Amino acid sequence: MPWYEILPIAMLLCMALFIFTGFPVALVLGGLGLAFGIIGIMVGEFRVAHFNALPLRIYAGSVENIILVAIPMFIFMGTMLEKSGIAEDLLYTLQLLTRRLPGGLAISVTLLGTILAATTGIIGASVVLLTLMALPEMLKRGYDARLATGTIASSGTLGILIPPSIMLVLMADQLSVPVGVLFIGALMPGLLLAVLYVAYIMTKAALQPEHAPPMDRGDGPTGINLSAMVIKTFIPPVFLIVLVLGSIFAGWATPTEASGIGAIGATLLALFNRRLSYAVLKDVCYRAAATNAMIFGIFVGATCFSLVFKRLGGDYLIEELINSLGVGPWGVLAMIMIVVFLLGFFLDWIEITLIVLPIFAPVIDSLDFGGHVADPAMMLPWFAVLLAVNLQTSFLTPPFGFALFYMKGAAASVKIQEIYRGIIPFVALQVIGLLLCILFPEIVTWLPARVLE
Amino acid sequence: MRALLSISDGLAAVTDAVGRLAAWLFLPMALVILYDVLQRKLLNVYPEFQQTALYQFLPSTKAQELEWHLHGFLFMLCLGFTYIRNGHVRVEFLRENFSQRRRAWIEIFGCLLFVLPYTLLVVDLSASQLVWNSFLMNEGSSATTGLPMRWIIKSSLVIGFGFLAIAALSILLRNIVFLFGPGELRSLANRYVKGDEIDDLKHEVEEELARDAAAHAEIRDRGDHRPNGRQD
Repeated sequence: MPWYEILPIAMLLCMALFIFTGFPVALVLGGLGLAFGIIGIMVGEFRVAHFNALPLRIYAGSVENIILVAIPMFIFMGTMLEKSGIAEDLLYTLQLLTRRLPGGLAISVTLLGTILAATTGIIGASVVLLTLMALPEMLKRGYDARLATGTIASSGTLGILIPPSIMLVLMADQLSVPVGVLFIGALMPGLLLAVLYVAYIMTKAALQPEHAPPMDRGDGPTGINLSAMVIKTFIPPVFLIVLVLGSIFAGWATPTEASGIGAIGATLLALFNRRLSYAVLKDVCYRAAATNAMIFGIFVGATCFSLVFKRLGGDYLIEELINSLGVGPWGVLAMIMIVVFLLGFFLDWIEITLIVLPIFAPVIDSLDFGGHVADPAMMLPWFAVLLAVNLQTSFLTPPFGFALFYMKGAAASVKIQEIYRGIIPFVALQVIGLLLCILFPEIVTWLPARVLE
Repeated sequence: MRALLSISDGLAAVTDAVGRLAAWLFLPMALVILYDVLQRKLLNVYPEFQQTALYQFLPSTKAQELEWHLHGFLFMLCLGFTYIRNGHVRVEFLRENFSQRRRAWIEIFGCLLFVLPYTLLVVDLSASQLVWNSFLMNEGSSATTGLPMRWIIKSSLVIGFGFLAIAALSILLRNIVFLFGPGELRSLANRYVKGDEIDDLKHEVEEELARDAAAHAEIRDRGDHRPNGRQD
């Protein structure tokens, strides 16, 4: 191997080195692209003229792209929804509904996380919100701190997997598969995880009631009053879910159109709940704009990085490296899943989706699993959903799980060791969910086949 | 040093103002999407809509192109704003344990070695190649009913990366003041080395929840004071 062929590898190593300095990832990527371009020019592997393609790549990849318009809209919708106050009302109602079940409060947190996930594509402050809302209540009731924090962290992050999800929009763009197919395909795996969480909580609460004491029977309204309350608090989220997911599933609207309608729907909900004021609208716009620019900053930086990386022969090198392992498609699948799982300990979904996925994309495209996935056209969507389920763990795995990080800030009374230990069963459940989706691709492919007939 | 800090503040204020202005683009974006969906439904039941002045002004092709035009300006013009507000994601794993001085040094090196060369390259190439060529060619949409003058949206790269460079300059100066300035200026210059975003977020959400609780209590009170309360 000539010495300059190690340039792409040096590039990856430098990236790892520099993003761990804590400098913004988006800016490290762009800067390193330029730096290695210059090194490439000096050793004759890159030409000055190759940089000329950069503005057009950025423009065509991130601006002139109607699919990506869904991302700002979903971010706006999610940010607005946090302000609309529907989460608080929902949690109280769910608590009343589940009070007879073992671990009722924990189950209502999981259900709330799932419903919120189906109305929004980001998680942002929702883990903080759930922590501040539900954790004090759970601890007051005598819940085991590990069960309480594990439930909140895992449920609060379902939003990134259950459609609509900005992660799925970006994955669809990277792998050139329709967003709608990924949305529909990710629904069952997302619900599967929620069901696994609930089953675990119920079993745990039944076996060790002292870890999850039930609510007093006498609290709160019953009968007609309760039904009225249920209807009143469930209408807003159901309205949004029907509006956004319903119109995508029924084929009435593209994901981009649904995202715009959802943004308006969330604003109307805030208006009806009397939460919308000029100050709130301004705050939502500023906050959503910063989140949006953060994501597209990385998108653009990754464009610069991968332009140089590919010119230096990086993707060819990766492909050759993987082929030379001679492990076959299942070996490659296992390898990518393990790499993504391990990277999830240090990075979160944004970096993995925008940096790691493009590197693996050509390899994934050429994999052949025979008849494991019945419809060959569903191979890539299946793989993307597997990655999505896998990335769900990146929020929860210490030392740098996004959810844990936020929870540590929001729950001063709970020791970090407790949070780490509380998360273990839930990460295990996610790995079980991932394995089920790998072994039974129908979990992913069944619904799209029915809906898209 | 005080002058450097003032320059930094000035550059930050300009970048921030541009981002705040651009942030409002969410609203026209959502409305244009809504319009596009509604006009399509409307055309199914009322084909004559095509003859109206509104449709002539904004046919579906134009609306859809307008959507990504707005999207392009929205995120490009907020790149610098997000950096000023410390919103670009960082890998905190090791940074958590770094001293403030080390964080300041990292920021200075990052701005000098990464951000400024990268942004200036993109500004230079976008202006000289992308925008200028588009302007000379009088490039418009490939669709006959699309939007004209592609050089406008293409110049979002020049403006957006220009303000990202200005943001980097502001942050660079601020961290120089933090490292080398007199003690009384340091607390004014430590915005990018504190690392307490989580606390800020927590306070915000707590305030929010407190407001909610107050609102709920108010509703309950109102119910109690009513003569026959509760039923309605």
